[in-house]
Amino acid sequence: MRYVSRANLKLLLDDLSGQYRVFVPVRKKDSRFYSRYEGSMDDVVIGEVRAFEPLKAFFFPAVEKVAEGFSGGSFPHEKDRPVCIVGVKACDLKGFKVLDHVFGQEDEYPDPSYIKRRAENLIISSDCTMAIETCFCLALGLKPFPQEDFDINLSPVGDGFFVFVGSDKGKQIVERHAGLFEEPGEELSSAQEKSRLRVIREVERNIEEHGVPSQDRYQGIIEKGYESAVWKDEAESCVECGACNTICPTCHCFLLYEQMKGDEEFARFRMWDSCLIKDFARVGGGDNPREHLWMRLRNRFEKKFDYFRKVADIYACTGCGRCISACPAKIDIRDVLRKLVEENE
Amino acid sequence: MKRMSSSPISDNPYRSIRAEVQRVIPETPTIKTIRMKLTEDLPFRPGQFIEMSIPGSGEAPFTPSSPCYQKEHMDVTVMKVGKVTELIHRLEPGDTVGLRGPFGRGYPLDDFAGKEVLVVGGGVGFAPLRTLMYSLFEMRDRLARLIYRGGCRCPEELLYTDEIKGWGDRPDLDMVLCVDACTLEDRWDGPVGVVTTVLDGIDFNPRNAVGVACGPPIMMKFTTYKFQELGIPDENIYLSMEKNMSCGIGKCGHCRIGSYYCCKDGPVFTYAEIKDFPGIWD
Ligand code: SF4
Ligand code: SF4
Ligand code: FES
Repeated sequence: MRYVSRANLKLLLDDLSGQYRVFVPVRKKDSRFYSRYEGSMDDVVIGEVRAFEPLKAFFFPAVEKVAEGFSGGSFPHEKDRPVCIVGVKACDLKGFKVLDHVFGQEDEYPDPSYIKRRAENLIISSDCTMAIETCFCLALGLKPFPQEDFDINLSPVGDGFFVFVGSDKGKQIVERHAGLFEEPGEELSSAQEKSRLRVIREVERNIEEHGVPSQDRYQGIIEKGYESAVWKDEAESCVECGACNTICPTCHCFLLYEQMKGDEEFARFRMWDSCLIKDFARVGGGDNPREHLWMRLRNRFEKKFDYFRKVADIYACTGCGRCISACPAKIDIRDVLRKLVEENE
Repeated sequence: MKRMSSSPISDNPYRSIRAEVQRVIPETPTIKTIRMKLTEDLPFRPGQFIEMSIPGSGEAPFTPSSPCYQKEHMDVTVMKVGKVTELIHRLEPGDTVGLRGPFGRGYPLDDFAGKEVLVVGGGVGFAPLRTLMYSLFEMRDRLARLIYRGGCRCPEELLYTDEIKGWGDRPDLDMVLCVDACTLEDRWDGPVGVVTTVLDGIDFNPRNAVGVACGPPIMMKFTTYKFQELGIPDENIYLSMEKNMSCGIGKCGHCRIGSYYCCKDGPVFTYAEIKDFPGIWD
């Protein structure tokens, strides 16, 4: 393990900016947004808590051109430098487990642009140093500090960070910039442990307050709760905006559409889609297998807590709480899970 | 799950190949067959589907209706039901369209060898079955028996009328066509009733049979129940499912059936594979 001071981290990011487009979390009011690193560390918050936007945006953009004309154009058409994302949190890293399953190399049809970005982008993650009211990662079996799926992890201590290397790519970067890293002082170790424990406590408190069941109690909740009154009750206030889907680090559905470019050429795009929207599953002939909003709400949970468990042995939720803050109807995934588990036990 | 084919969609699964409309054949007042000349190879197997695009407007999924061995052109038979199909109905010879695919798993023809094969089509569901039937004709000497039962609403709605007449003369095919209803002017001399009524009284060994159904959901549902009643095992009942397929490669999420994606795990499923999922007929 090494240590990097905040000042030296700046030098590292300056240097990485040659090879990568570097994004750092910046605090605006009560939220943190990824913003392009331009050489200033002002307002950059490496620790704290997850950013407003889900990490998927860097790997599977909200809108992307996937083909141009009949030749296909150059796809993936990423001519820009790859991206380095700094301050990524453990919950967002879990999103990779789901997205890799859908788009990744192991799939029968690996997605050309996703696998390219996945191979080229650099992840410098960090521990959370606080939780917000909506965090419930522990319930999904995660700790509020990254344990896998990063290249380098930064664990804030004192005025700098403990540095953990999580991949060959990360190792090479640390080796190449060996001068920026130091041996950490003994006393920092206990500070790091204390900080991690404090954040765990905060998340535990959230979980207790909201009665969030832990994932070992999710088995079968969808199958058994398929006809539960929960769906209709919860869907009552849903306004079908789809915010819960688009903001979610594991939601991967998209809509393909085409546009003409001049008279001759056309281009095909994909755009994040939402299964809450009425026509999502409607077939050409007009039949809609999920005619009612409550069926679509149920579908969202079915996909996350039944489908992905069956096909990839994972619950497609990271406990990031984004859907809770994003929902104008104040539908709270923690309440839904609690009710389903209670009805099931 | 057994995969029947690996797809040639190679470098970019979102790219369409260019095809030119050669002929537009009106089949019924609401159904047309579009015959296209392809600029690149697009080999497919019976039951697999393609995404057909009106460039710049959008795509819709169809199962080709021409024989797989027909390399000169590809047919799709399209019922006018919505935005994209309406544009398809406006196509004229010389127009350019896009084709993407083939996608999914078709019928496991090798498993049909030695079996009595009972194929049941309803309405426009006959279109993909035409492709299947031509493949079955090709391997006819390997099949114990070949039976076709087709239904549609009225005689006017019958597809491929001229071609079908020729099928009637084939000694190696037991074919009955029926219509739900007809008038005197229709001059229909076949049976009248829903297609399941012409599945009774077939003398076959259900344990050695496969049942194939393709048509509107309600027809598939009752045909499946009929297959079961006749004694065909659920593993030998093949259904071609229609969901809202878009990407074709299990990514866009629009076509899920239980723990499968209709586009890549289907669209042909055995009843045994999907019967436990809620809402499969919806
Ligand atoms: S479902 Fe909600 S809490 Fe779970 S990962 Fe998605 S946005 Fe986060
Ligand atoms: S964010 Fe809330 S209101 Fe919007 S679609 Fe999701 S559940 Fe419905
Ligand atoms: S068509 Fe996109 S997932 Fe099946």
